[in-house]
Amino acid sequence: MRVLGFLARRGFQAIFVLLGLSMLIFVIARVLPGDPARTALGARAPQWVIDRLREDMHLDKPLVAQYGYWLGDALQGDLGISLVTRRDVTDDIREFLPASLELVLFSGLITAVGGISLGILSARHKDKWADNFIRVFSYLGIVTPSFVAAILLLLLFGLILDWFPTIGRLSEGVPRPPTITGLYTVDSLLAGQFSTTLDALHHLILPAVALALASLSQEARITRSTMSDNLSKDYIAASRALGVPERLVTGRFLLKASIIPTVAIFGLDFAATLGSAFLVELIFVWPGISRYGVNAMLRKDLNAISAVILVLGITFVIVNILVDLGVGSLDPRIRLRGSRSD
Amino acid sequence: MKRLLLPLLVFALLTAACTATPAAEAPPPEEPGSPEEPADPEEPATPEEPEEPMDPVRLRATFSWPTFIDPAVGNDFSSSHAMTNLYDALIFPNVEGKMEPALAESWDVSDDGLTYTFHLRDGVKFHDGSDLEASDVVYSYNRSQEIGEGFAYVMAGAEVSAPDDQTVEFQLSVPSGLFVPGLVRLYVVNEDLVRANTDAEGPYGTEGDYGKDWLLTNDAGSGPYQVVEFPLEEYLLMDKFEDWWNADAFHANAPDQVRFIATTETATVRSLMDDAELEITDQWQTLEALEALDNMDGISSLAFPSMSSFYYMMNNTKAPLDDVHCRRAVSYAFDYDQAVALEWPGTNQMVGPVNATLGGHSPDVTVYERDLDKAAEELAQCAYADSIEDIPIEVVWIAEVPAEEKWALLFQANMADIGIPVEVVSNPWLSVVENTSTQETSSHIVTIYVTASLPEAGAALQDRYHSSTAATWQQNEWLLDADLDARIEDALATADSDERFAKYAALQAELADQAVSLFLYDQLQKHAVADYVDWTPAANSPIQGYQLYAPFIGVTPP
Repeated sequence: MRVLGFLARRGFQAIFVLLGLSMLIFVIARVLPGDPARTALGARAPQWVIDRLREDMHLDKPLVAQYGYWLGDALQGDLGISLVTRRDVTDDIREFLPASLELVLFSGLITAVGGISLGILSARHKDKWADNFIRVFSYLGIVTPSFVAAILLLLLFGLILDWFPTIGRLSEGVPRPPTITGLYTVDSLLAGQFSTTLDALHHLILPAVALALASLSQEARITRSTMSDNLSKDYIAASRALGVPERLVTGRFLLKASIIPTVAIFGLDFAATLGSAFLVELIFVWPGISRYGVNAMLRKDLNAISAVILVLGITFVIVNILVDLGVGSLDPRIRLRGSRSD
Repeated sequence: MKRLLLPLLVFALLTAACTATPAAEAPPPEEPGSPEEPADPEEPATPEEPEEPMDPVRLRATFSWPTFIDPAVGNDFSSSHAMTNLYDALIFPNVEGKMEPALAESWDVSDDGLTYTFHLRDGVKFHDGSDLEASDVVYSYNRSQEIGEGFAYVMAGAEVSAPDDQTVEFQLSVPSGLFVPGLVRLYVVNEDLVRANTDAEGPYGTEGDYGKDWLLTNDAGSGPYQVVEFPLEEYLLMDKFEDWWNADAFHANAPDQVRFIATTETATVRSLMDDAELEITDQWQTLEALEALDNMDGISSLAFPSMSSFYYMMNNTKAPLDDVHCRRAVSYAFDYDQAVALEWPGTNQMVGPVNATLGGHSPDVTVYERDLDKAAEELAQCAYADSIEDIPIEVVWIAEVPAEEKWALLFQANMADIGIPVEVVSNPWLSVVENTSTQETSSHIVTIYVTASLPEAGAALQDRYHSSTAATWQQNEWLLDADLDARIEDALATADSDERFAKYAALQAELADQAVSLFLYDQLQKHAVADYVDWTPAANSPIQGYQLYAPFIGVTPP
């Protein structure tokens, strides 16, 4: 019941957050220089064609009226037509969002497993060579932009070593799975196309690692830092003094307490990665929503810009709620404090 | 055990993923055979195992995206190439700029130049097997004009009818020397197929959406290739159409499959070329990238003339460039040799205001060369000579094309030699499109590559200097000269080509003399090509979309 109440409250708050976000991006997109109709149709399109498109997009109406039209349509699931793809933005989101989700989920998995593992290793061997190596690696990972990592990985593993494919979600000739979730790995598994699953995973590795590198490095540092702090706590000393095996001390008592900031940061990183994956998607020709969104902004594709920002906003809200739930489950004090303040 | 389950699962997935997936592999080479032993007549013959299908011969090229394959919508580089391979037009342009029969076996022109009658060839099939008839041509034309996008403007102004299944008649209101060349952009769609896939709800009245939604990712053509799949942000995959009416024209090793890949990223392109997963790069690779590709085994760079030229569009209404002497001073002060040297070897300075590949291009024009004495002479006659230092010229280059900055800096340095201050500014393309739409917001100079819409000088003159383009990015000069407009229109309406070209020549001479723009250079189109590809783009028409014409390209994979 407590959880349901929490979810209901956060859901209610989310409505206002998303409304505010939609208004803000709506106005900003329209204030940006450029005539989207003329840009989309080209220099030689007759004026009557330009005027027709502007009328279809309600660009001849006041800004408030435009927002009203957009909101009314959006609430019915109609996000308008994209000037870049020339089809319903809803169809675009339906096609490109799963591709990004698959990439970000896989990247998140690498981040979680790799970051926490490295953080634990680093903390356990604090100030030894393993810790030093991991720290240097983490610094490099944090300062290296994802697109630089992407290019380096592509050149090393795609060009020089030829271990991984360099573009797209599937190899030429590999059959696409039927669309169930839009995630090729999942859909192909459900359809029993295991060779497609492997091929899809093969294509995921390089872009996912490129995306994960910075977050993984950050997670490793945060995990190491909090574990190092908690290592000196009395309850850890007491556990050791009582003869509790070291793996239990590390794995149960220490990790659970230390992982809370990691989980919080992981959640924010996950949502941010969805929007910032543009360059990685560009380099690997990954048909994701981030690339679609940036192209929309460069071409002032008003409907697509609003839709992409809305989708990212919804993702942030959902992820934040999940992070709060996760943190609450890890630390009862946070859960109880939260319920008392209500 | 439970705790180990997740890590084990992750490890298994990663291990499996890291294993190279056997994609469609080429069959292994045959081993040298030992002489066959004669079959034993007593033993029953074992049934032969079915042969594994051979890999299709693939031609893959990278392009800048997006790509629109709807003939009434697309008009950019990648879209033009896609449409040319998927569809046929009534005529086909050759390298000399002449129009050859294609879907039309022949055509007649009335004496007054107002009626064009095309006689279609028999037996042309669409990709779905149905026959191409005159009604399809009528539908395609009307559809293009009613939608009004893409290349509609190059063939506008006609009433079209189909007196019978093999005859199409175009009725013009005014004669036009460019009407027939303009029909290279009338890609004929399958009317029945498009209507069957038209959404009744749409902005085109009874025509609904005119099939635009369906034609985004499907084709209704009769051309040498047909769409297999088109995931919008990834690639366009086309298969050879074996029943193409002109199948004899296929190169002996023409590709079975053509794939346009949506990327121009240098590292990605380089990796694909190295892996033999790409045969032709896009034309947007930097000089350094092309040189690096050229140095790779099995890859060569290739450059050929295009219909694109690089202009410095001078605003003729903004001081000091509203004075012809100042414009000439700028024209004489600029170092064209250095500008050309910054480009690919073989690039030539423009001779006059139109690209040299265009029919009717005239070499009898004032060609400006760097001459500081002449520049000073012209500057002395300029109305702003005494105050020139107080009127800086703003040069705007397009932020999305970083290479343009070096020419802008060269211009700044050159103008400093005659005391003209220059401010170099980069603007995103959206801002350039917006700013060039009004005189007040137009800069002194905008640097843009412009591609002629048709292979004639008149098309370029109209695109660049007619008042109809004054509020678009195609013209920052703001000439707004009614007399010039009338002479351009008169030239375009002249049916006789010699007479028409003579009029073009006079217009070019005048525009060059008036130094309305800085005419920098004619752009070469540059690609890196795998050595196992037999491609001679210089033997094709320079019209955008006809260079990468897959039927004329041979691919012999190693």
